[in-house]
Order: sequence, then structure tokens, then C-alpha cells
Amino acid sequence: MPKSEIDIISVIESKLKDKVQIQLGHLGTAAIKTSNGLHRDVLKAILEVDEKTGITAITGLDLGANIGLLYHTHTAKGFFGICTEVPKGNPKIQTIIDIIPGAALHELEVADLLGVVFEGNPSPRHFLLSEYWPQGVYPLRKDVKANEVKLNPASAEENKPPATGRLVKLIIGPQHPALLEPEKFSVTVDGEIVTKVEPRLGYVHRGIEKAAESRTYVQDIYLVERVCGICNPCHAYGFVGAVEKILKTDVPPRAKYLRVIALELNRLHSHLLTLGHAGLEIGYETLFQYFWRDREPIMDLIELTSGNRVYGSLMTIGGVRRDLKESDAPKIKTVLADLRKKVPFYKKLYQDERSIRARMQDVGVLSREDAIKLCVVGPVARASGYDIDVRKDFPYEVYGEIPFKEIGYTTGDTWARMNVRMDEIEESINIIEYALDHLPTGPIRVQTSRYVPEGEAVCCVEAPRGELFYYVKGNGTVSPERVKIRTPTFANIPSFLQTAIGENIADIPPNFVSLDPCFSCTDR
Amino acid sequence: MIDFVLILRILIFPGFTFILLLTLFCDWVERKLEARLQNRVGPMVAGPGGILQPLADFIKLLTKEDIEPRDAKKTVFKFAPLIAFTIMVFAMCFLPIDGASVLSTTGFNGDLIVILAFSTIASFLLFLSGWASGNPYGTISSARVLTQFLGYDIPLFLLALTPAFIAGSLSMFVIAQSQTIPYILLAPWAFVLFMIAMQAELEKDPFDVPDAESELVGGLETEYTGAKLAFLHLTRDVQIVFGAALVVELFLGGPYGPVFFGLPAFWYSLWFVLKVLAIVIVTEYITTLFARLRIDQVLSANWRIILPAAILSLMLTVAIVTWVYPLV
Repeated sequence: MPKSEIDIISVIESKLKDKVQIQLGHLGTAAIKTSNGLHRDVLKAILEVDEKTGITAITGLDLGANIGLLYHTHTAKGFFGICTEVPKGNPKIQTIIDIIPGAALHELEVADLLGVVFEGNPSPRHFLLSEYWPQGVYPLRKDVKANEVKLNPASAEENKPPATGRLVKLIIGPQHPALLEPEKFSVTVDGEIVTKVEPRLGYVHRGIEKAAESRTYVQDIYLVERVCGICNPCHAYGFVGAVEKILKTDVPPRAKYLRVIALELNRLHSHLLTLGHAGLEIGYETLFQYFWRDREPIMDLIELTSGNRVYGSLMTIGGVRRDLKESDAPKIKTVLADLRKKVPFYKKLYQDERSIRARMQDVGVLSREDAIKLCVVGPVARASGYDIDVRKDFPYEVYGEIPFKEIGYTTGDTWARMNVRMDEIEESINIIEYALDHLPTGPIRVQTSRYVPEGEAVCCVEAPRGELFYYVKGNGTVSPERVKIRTPTFANIPSFLQTAIGENIADIPPNFVSLDPCFSCTDR
Repeated sequence: MIDFVLILRILIFPGFTFILLLTLFCDWVERKLEARLQNRVGPMVAGPGGILQPLADFIKLLTKEDIEPRDAKKTVFKFAPLIAFTIMVFAMCFLPIDGASVLSTTGFNGDLIVILAFSTIASFLLFLSGWASGNPYGTISSARVLTQFLGYDIPLFLLALTPAFIAGSLSMFVIAQSQTIPYILLAPWAFVLFMIAMQAELEKDPFDVPDAESELVGGLETEYTGAKLAFLHLTRDVQIVFGAALVVELFLGGPYGPVFFGLPAFWYSLWFVLKVLAIVIVTEYITTLFARLRIDQVLSANWRIILPAAILSLMLTVAIVTWVYPLV
């Protein structure tokens, strides 16, 4: 165990002594059970040892008489779950946004879906749910029957006062050319300068977490893939990985390599998509067309390896569903070699093209301190000099064996975020080539029981957009007790809300697209 | 007595029909060129190589439902696109196209100023059309149109005076006719600056800030539908042809060129079309090469670079015309 983890645990033990129960190896590095109110002290203790502490997610659980709250916390080299409980009759708990501001949206989500009151973090009427959803009905509580909920059409959204004087209120969304998916941002502008951004999430909230509870594990793999079309293998892996941890299944090595190939192909196509889309947002259509042209061969590779262009459905519990043919490896390598030849041109374009630099540099600057405070993930964090990458920090599958570089920039602006992705394309090509060269022989899956025993596990994946978090709790049946998904865009939205203020309206689209936003992920 | 020739000239050639067809053709060239530069095929269904696509789009829009938003200022909203289109076509009528202009054979001294004034009025009407549509995107887009064309009109006027100074006249005819050596060779600096200012006037990349679709949806066209939208699009296209024609008249020797046989008017129109096409291709090429700038960057480029450069260019021209030419 690295030193910092021991430090954190010993500090917590010495500070809180018998008020906490520590269970090593559970929910990541360790699960820390504590009572209501002491979770703040545990968090402060962790923060003292490691400044790179952030909240990954807050999971709410219906435990019968109580509501369980799991604060999933990540530090530089450890992953801790702080567990506490509140009574269902009086579900009040103190907020942690004064310690870690990035937890604000996570708390609002739990408040909306489980009815927990976070004292100090006033929640709007609805955060993810529709305005028509009746008050006092919390969908993730077990006693709620979905078909008995009566929607209340009379309670439309309260009319917020319109902007007055010099200010103009621009509504970006739910339908807007800058957004590929529906989500609403009310932007107040003074001339061309943004003074306020108010988000309204939940336009594509489909209740996938609740739906997963009523389906079997195998059905759930396909369900969670539908959280997001672009990064669907990551979602499938996140779920499958967590279930395998509960089952204590050993996945055959060949399956591990095939999974890595699928995940990296996914990263390639997702990054090419974003890099092109950014061109569209700054009025550079030529760039967009070029990137999307070069993305097509990667889509063909995804079809070659999984059978489908978009939804490969490669992952399954215990391995992968489809083997790579001997003759396919050279085909993949040829396509990747082609792409590798084109990368220097694009790299030069993103680094040096003057109109790109004029539009992206010093736009949406997120400092390292703010990045840590707001708990951002993925390329957004790495562009601000906040080096977190699940593939390096907590290697899953065979990422520990494969040599690759973690990309980092320090300027934290839109330009840096796009360049992180640009450089990662090269690294992904390297990883896939290494994996193809070192592909072991053997079976591609092991059979597992359809019944998953009682237990809980977390699984983190470095999706193209950042760390994707899955929490699965089994109860001994064929369906999970609870599935919690925290998507990277959900973690990155606070950074946009902060950096957009004081900048030009024209900076909103490039700033926003540099998060690679995905709202069907965010809302689930 | 009714002058049939004049009516024919106004209605058919080189008047309304010719200008309309040239506009649609240039639109097709632009779209096809942009598509090929971006690795696409571009229009290819209507007519050979999709050449009828702009016409098909225009007719399609004419058949669409015409919606007027409740908050729009109805009169301005209705008439601004139509009047803008009319004024642009009217301005085109003053340019020598087949060796003579549409309305009068030799023009009059000072028609350069009139033409530039018409184009400014047309831009202003476009601003009004967005302003009257009662939509925040239209309003912001209109404000950007106004800021941008106020900024770039001044250097454009100053730079248009360079050929006038060399020719010693404010008449388009004299300017075009006196270019035995095209002014692009005599004053290349003014040509380059004029092209940049023109790119900004026509709101093309990197200066297409007013219709940045990722921020402002449809820009000032957001609320327009049907026939009105068709005329807005057409006005934009005529503006582009007009801009190219102005460059041709001022710097490329107008419609004048070698006459090999037969009617000079035929050859003059041919040279005119070819030269206009060349300029349209150059502007479109620039458009595909750049990303869109931000409004503050566009303005600072104008006030800090283009305007001082335009003034310098004018001073240089005056100095050369006054002191160097008499020596040659």
C-alpha cells in the first residue's frame, strides 16, 4: 500500500478513534463507516493529508428505515467511501460544499431523487426530475411504485423574472445549434459580456438507475450502454467491472486485452468527434469536415472488432462476447498507421493555426486550484495541470502493463483542453498497437452465476470525457439492489458555470464544447 | 416614345435577369468549391453537377409558409428584406457590365459614391430586418451587423478612393476604362486591404460574426420564413456578387479586355463574369481557411490595423499620383 493511503487511514484513526469503523479494500481503498455529522470531520482529515481530494459521487441508498449516503472520495492514490446514514423520517444532513464546492451538484441530485435535505445547500424544486413530477415523491426510494405516480401538469416551471435594463437574457437550449442534446442554460448578458449562467438539467433524464433495479444483470449491461451513445463501451465496462468485483470473477487475460482495445478505439473516435465539433463551434467548418472524415475509418474498426458501428455490446460479465480474428489485427494496424500519419498535421493545426489560437487561448481559464475544488475530471482536469487519469492512478484491466504517457497541460484554457485530446489520440494509437502485439491466447470469457451475491463494489473507468464511476450493490438475486452512475460531464459542468462568467457570448460555444459535454450522460 | 432597348436592358440583359442568374451561379460556385475544399461533394442532384440547386432552394423557400412573430415590428419586418434586395440590384445597375451600365451608357461623375452609399443602405436594412424580428438572437446579431459595418465601411470608402485618385475621376466608367494596366498592379497594397475590408463587409469568415450559428442560431434570419427568408438569402448572395463586381471594376479593369471578333458587348460580359468568378473563388477560399473571429477581435483588427492602413494607403496613393506619375 502506498504511503499516502496509510497516512490517511492512520490520521483518521488517530483523530476520530472509535467513532469510525474502517474496512480496508472495500469500496476502493477503504470504506469508512461513521455516524451522521462526522462525515465532515472524516473529509477534513482526508483533505489535510492530500490536497488532491475530491468528491467522485454521492450515492444514496434506501436501507429500509434509513437512507444510506456514500461519499465516494478520491485522493491522489486512494479511493475512499465515507458511509453514513440518516433516518428516513427526518433525512437531514449537513452539506459539505463549504469543504469541497464541487459536491454541490451531487448533493442536489441526491436531494431530488431520495429526498435528503442537505442543510446549507438549498435545492431548487427539481434538479433532474421534470417540473411536472409531484413534490414529496422520491423515485429512488423503494416504496415508490412507478406506475402509481401521478404527474401534476398544473405545476409548470415558475416564471423567473426577465432581465431588466441593459441586460438581455439569452436562452441557450433546450434546443440550440450549439448543443447537440437538450439542456437549458439561461445566460444573462450585458452587451456581449456574460454576467450569469443558470443551468437546468434533466431534459433527458430517463431514470436509468431506477430501471436497472428491475432488470437482470445481463439486461442491465445493454441498458447502461444506452446512457450514452458515444462512450457506450465505457459504460458497459463500468457496470461489468463492478459486478465482477462482487462476484470475485477472474477475467481471462485475452479478454482484458480485447477490452482495452475496445475502450481505446472508443477514445479515438470520441476525441476525433470532439476535435472536429470544436471546429464547428468556432466557425471552422473545414476543420470539422476533415476530422469527421478521418473518424470514419475508426468507426469501421469498431464495426470490425465488435460487429456494430456504434453499439458494439462487446463487454459481458466474465469477459467479452466476441473474439478478434487473427486476420483482423493487420487491418487495424493499417488504419491506425494511416491515422498516425495524419496526426502531425492536425497537431500543428491545433497548436499553431492563428484563428484557432485567437478563439481558444485564454478562453474559459480554469486554474489548478479551482479544478481541484470543483472536482473536475478527465481532459478538463489534465489541461489545468491537475494530473488525474484513472488508467494511471488506479490501473484497471491491463493498463498497468501497457506503457503510455499521461498528457498534461498547465494553462487550463480551452486551447489546452483540446490539445490534451489531440495528444491523447497518439497515445491511444500506441496503446492499441501494443495491445495487438501482446495479445495473449486463451479463452475470452468465463461463465458466471446469474445470481450475484450480497455485496457492493465500485468501478472507475477513464472514459474519453474523464473518470466514469459505477457503484453496484447486489442482493443475492438476479437484479441489482442499486446502480449508481456518475458520468464525467456531470462532474465537469461546474467548471463551465464558473469560467463562462465575465467572458464574451462568442466564447460560450468553444468553452462549452471543450468539456466535450454529453447530456444524455449527465441526466441518465 | 417607349425605349424598348432600355426596357430589354433593364429586364433581361445586363439587367435584372442577368444579375439574378449570375448571383445564383456564383452561389453554386461557392457551394461547390467550399464542398470540394472540405472533402465533400456539394450540391449534385438538381441539374448537371447540382448547378440548379440555388434556384431550387429559392423556389422551395417561396412555397413555404410565411410566419410573422407576434413581437415583430410588422412593417419593417415585412419590407426590409425586399427593399434591401431591390437596392442591391439597383446598385448593380450602375456598374458597367457589357461595356455600358444598365441605366445609362456612361454613368455620371460621382456614381462610385452613390453605389457605395446604396450598399451601405442595404446593410442597414438587413440590420433593421433583424432588429424588427423581436428575437434576442436577431437583436444581438443586428447589433453585431451594425458594429461591424460601421467599422469596415470607413476603410472600404477610403480604399475605394485609391483607384479614383489614380484615374482622377469618381465615375465608375472612367475608372474602369482608364485601367490599361489594371490597378491591382499599380496599387497592390490597396487591393489586398480592399479585399480584407470587403470580406468583412460581406460577413464572410473570418468575419462572419453576425451569423455565428453556434451562438446566435440563425442570426438576424432566425425568425424569417418563406418568401422573406428567400429574399434575405438572395440579398446576401447579390451582396457577394456586388462586392466581387466592385473589386473587378476598381482593380481588375472592369469588363474591359481583349475583343477577338464580333460584338464587343459579348466579350465584355464574358470578361466581367470571369473576373467576378475569380474574385468569388478567392473570397470563398479565404472563408474555408479560417475560423470565425470574435466581435472584439474583429473590431480591434479594424480600428487598429485596417483603418490606419487604409489612411496610409490613401496618402501613399495621393503622393504617388501627385509626384511620381508626372515623372513617368
